[in-house]
Amino acid sequence: MTYKRWFAVVAVLVIASFILAACPQPTPQVVEKVVTKEVEKVVTKEVEKVVTKEVEKIVTKEVEKVVVATPTPVPGEEKVTLDINLGTEPPTADPALATDTTSVTVIEQLFLGLTDLAEEDMSPIPELATKWETPDGGQTWIFYMRDDVPWVRYNPATGEVEVETDADGNPRMVNAHDVVYGVKRTLDPRTASDYAYVLYIIKGGEAVNTADPAEADIDALLAEVGVEALDDYTVKFTLEYPAAYFPQIASMWVARPQPQWVIESKGDRWIEPGFIVTNGPYVMTEWVHEDHMVFERNPHWPDWDKVEGNIERIYAVMVTEASTSFAMYENNELDTAGVPLDQMDRVKSDPVLSKELVIQPIGCTYYYGFTTTKAPVDNPLVRRALSAAIDRKTLVEEVTKGGQIPANTFAPKMIFGSPAGDPEIAPWALPEDMGGWGYDKAVAEAQKWMAEAGYPDGEGLDILLMHNVSEGHAKIAQAIQAMWQTAFPKATFTIETQEWKVYLKTIGKKTPLEDMPHVWRLGWCLDYPDENNWVHEVFNPEQGANRPRMSFDDPYVGDKIKEFSETTIAAARTQDPEERKALYKKAEKLLVDDIAAIAPIYYYTRVTVTKPWLQRRWHDTPHFETWVIDWEAKKAARGM
Amino acid sequence: MTRYIIRRILWFIPVLLAIMAVTFFLAKVMPGGPFDFAGEKQLPESVRQNLMRRYGLDAPGYVQFARWLWNALKGDLGPSYYYKGRSVNEVLAQTFPISAQLGFLSLALGLLIGIPMGVLAALKQNTIWDYGSTFIAILGVSIPNLVLGPLLIWVFALKLGWLPTARWAVNYTELIWGILPPPDKLRPFFTHAILPTVTLGTGLSASIARLTRASLLQVIREDYIRTARAKGLPERTIIVVHALKNSLIPVVTVLGPMFAGVVTGSLIVEQIFAIPGMGKFFVASVTNRDYPVILGTTLVYSILLVVANLFVDIVYAWLDPRIRYE
Repeated sequence: MTYKRWFAVVAVLVIASFILAACPQPTPQVVEKVVTKEVEKVVTKEVEKVVTKEVEKIVTKEVEKVVVATPTPVPGEEKVTLDINLGTEPPTADPALATDTTSVTVIEQLFLGLTDLAEEDMSPIPELATKWETPDGGQTWIFYMRDDVPWVRYNPATGEVEVETDADGNPRMVNAHDVVYGVKRTLDPRTASDYAYVLYIIKGGEAVNTADPAEADIDALLAEVGVEALDDYTVKFTLEYPAAYFPQIASMWVARPQPQWVIESKGDRWIEPGFIVTNGPYVMTEWVHEDHMVFERNPHWPDWDKVEGNIERIYAVMVTEASTSFAMYENNELDTAGVPLDQMDRVKSDPVLSKELVIQPIGCTYYYGFTTTKAPVDNPLVRRALSAAIDRKTLVEEVTKGGQIPANTFAPKMIFGSPAGDPEIAPWALPEDMGGWGYDKAVAEAQKWMAEAGYPDGEGLDILLMHNVSEGHAKIAQAIQAMWQTAFPKATFTIETQEWKVYLKTIGKKTPLEDMPHVWRLGWCLDYPDENNWVHEVFNPEQGANRPRMSFDDPYVGDKIKEFSETTIAAARTQDPEERKALYKKAEKLLVDDIAAIAPIYYYTRVTVTKPWLQRRWHDTPHFETWVIDWEAKKAARGM
Repeated sequence: MTRYIIRRILWFIPVLLAIMAVTFFLAKVMPGGPFDFAGEKQLPESVRQNLMRRYGLDAPGYVQFARWLWNALKGDLGPSYYYKGRSVNEVLAQTFPISAQLGFLSLALGLLIGIPMGVLAALKQNTIWDYGSTFIAILGVSIPNLVLGPLLIWVFALKLGWLPTARWAVNYTELIWGILPPPDKLRPFFTHAILPTVTLGTGLSASIARLTRASLLQVIREDYIRTARAKGLPERTIIVVHALKNSLIPVVTVLGPMFAGVVTGSLIVEQIFAIPGMGKFFVASVTNRDYPVILGTTLVYSILLVVANLFVDIVYAWLDPRIRYE
């Protein structure tokens, strides 16, 4: 008898779950209404409670509560909304502390830089600075700033964006002093900024950032830093050495003006909505950690009539799982999304999705590095043979499938000075349709080089390839292992993997040579779009990171390595753009072809689908103020 | 019994202390630190020094642990190294309630399906009911959440359009008593909860069903069941009052750790459904070498585990009168 009871219970549950499941999803408007009510209730309660206590406490209590529970806009007041996925919780919104693309995307909406990077070629264009000049060939830079951009704060109590005022009640405009403060705050060792080092080029920057606050007088050192306000809207930078690429550095988040009065009064919490004071096209109105952020149009941003964008509100979710994000896109919950690898074939063949697909190159390169002091890859012929025996075209078409581009240089094409795709450099890396040798010729030559190096058919060759644990890297490594094995049948190729941080330590400079793998995987993405950030900072044997351990004493190509080093140093200090390009072409040829310290594999792409009602743009970091939504079409598609 | 409970609670102190010390030590011996790299970029030594100094990592290890312990006793679990400006207290307070909501629902679903299914299988041993429930249980255990979750999204959200694709309907700013969804959002709360709860709950129900079946099969062969039958008790009373109660001991044993595991969040389910719970922090904190978050999440998990196990032991005494704690 009993089991009948149990069976009845189960049956009821199953039926109940079906009934529940059949409930239609409530429309978004209803949800918003609910939110508002609840939040208002909470705030009022809190204030009532406070009133019964001391009067002094009211202000602080109220503010703290407001930060946690921000009211959403009144429903009915319909705003043109963009729905996007940030992909993850941004670790910070503080321009001095950001290191990752998610944080930088958030910061880009909130804070203007002295310069901006053009959408087409990433050249520096005016943003806060209307023009700039270097009177002495690149050592000193003077930026002339506009005077009509106010600092603003979103007031959660009123839902308004308010212009910040100073003690006299005058609006606070973004000025040269804010730039000086921002740069010095980033360089202050007490701020502990990860990316402070990109500002080491500013005179005195490295000295203060590397000083120990317990021993040195930091304030005195900060006063020595080569950034000063000549007047309220003119800022002068003095550099350690001439650098033609400084206007690109001036666009970076770490060099942006920062609101001193807020940071000093609110401390680490100044980046929370309600506190944060910004000057960009959007303000942050909500930041629910791990869940979503909301940005709203800053009506005081002066350039709204100069951009065509019509987005008034950005609802940015933080969905990490690519397949979920893609499902939300298909369900019209996101206006644009990345495409997961396993969906690529379907998207390409689907009549609707294939039209919404855009593959766009981005400023990152996937490469294998060689430990140039470790036999047998100490011989440049072996390195070049291995590099040439990678069939890059097949790899991007059959393995990575994201429209990646075969690479024959370290820096991708969009980087200033990069000769990417130029068949004078490592033609063996390029397929025939890109002007290169094609794989058949490349592998035939590679076999000759390998024989010349003393390893005919790879005999006697034992190579360890290492990468960090990841399904994607493993697929690529296995494909390359198979290509090598076919090209050099008598050699042994072993793949090892390690957890990310362990791996980075293993391939670091402090690892003894016997523990280093011969070949290791890495990637590089731009900090600023200039070859200096690539060949010089990453590989210069004297001043760069130089993980391949290139040395002037190299018995095979020591002179070439010296030449490479001299070339990247000279290029940084040259002013003429054409001359710089020629120097970087030489440096890339030395690095990839003659020395063959690395095997560039492909340039990354961004694979996105975009709904037909969204007209998006392709700045390296999204500029939402330039995006346009056909709001009626979006509402119709969502059934709103 | 009271004395036993007090003694057990006092034992929590050294147990938790030992767990935290070992966790701290293990976190520290992992190669690589929190500030060696930004993405793939190796940070200059000077920058690393600034960061180490700022977070007090330049002190010797035992000093760091003592400081952490002292602050933890005062209720401050320290700052997150990765999420700048966020404290571990905030991270836990914001994410634990969400994970706990999902965990409770899934565990409830697991019990509601698992126990009846196990009982049915045991009472109808070697019939179609038994094989059917075994089949469902094996299916439930062997389909990974990684597959089931996206499958459910595809069917119920994309194709049928009955349920939302992903995300949790309430966030930490709206909770009542820090854990409950607000009453006017119950409907979206449950519609959003159905798919993740089913994803997480089916695996749980399957293991509960198998355990219940095995245990009940053993119990109904016991002498006291035969005695009960012999004295003419109705079959329902025999099963519910005598057999089932005693057969629940193994089930309750696994429920302790299962509870602690499930309310602290499931990385996979939370990731698939974009639920802002604490599951991801168990893994992400280790990957980031975010020591205070590693310690904070471990502390929450350990406390839940020891408390749940204490409850389990108390429930033993109630289920089986032969068990005595004195």
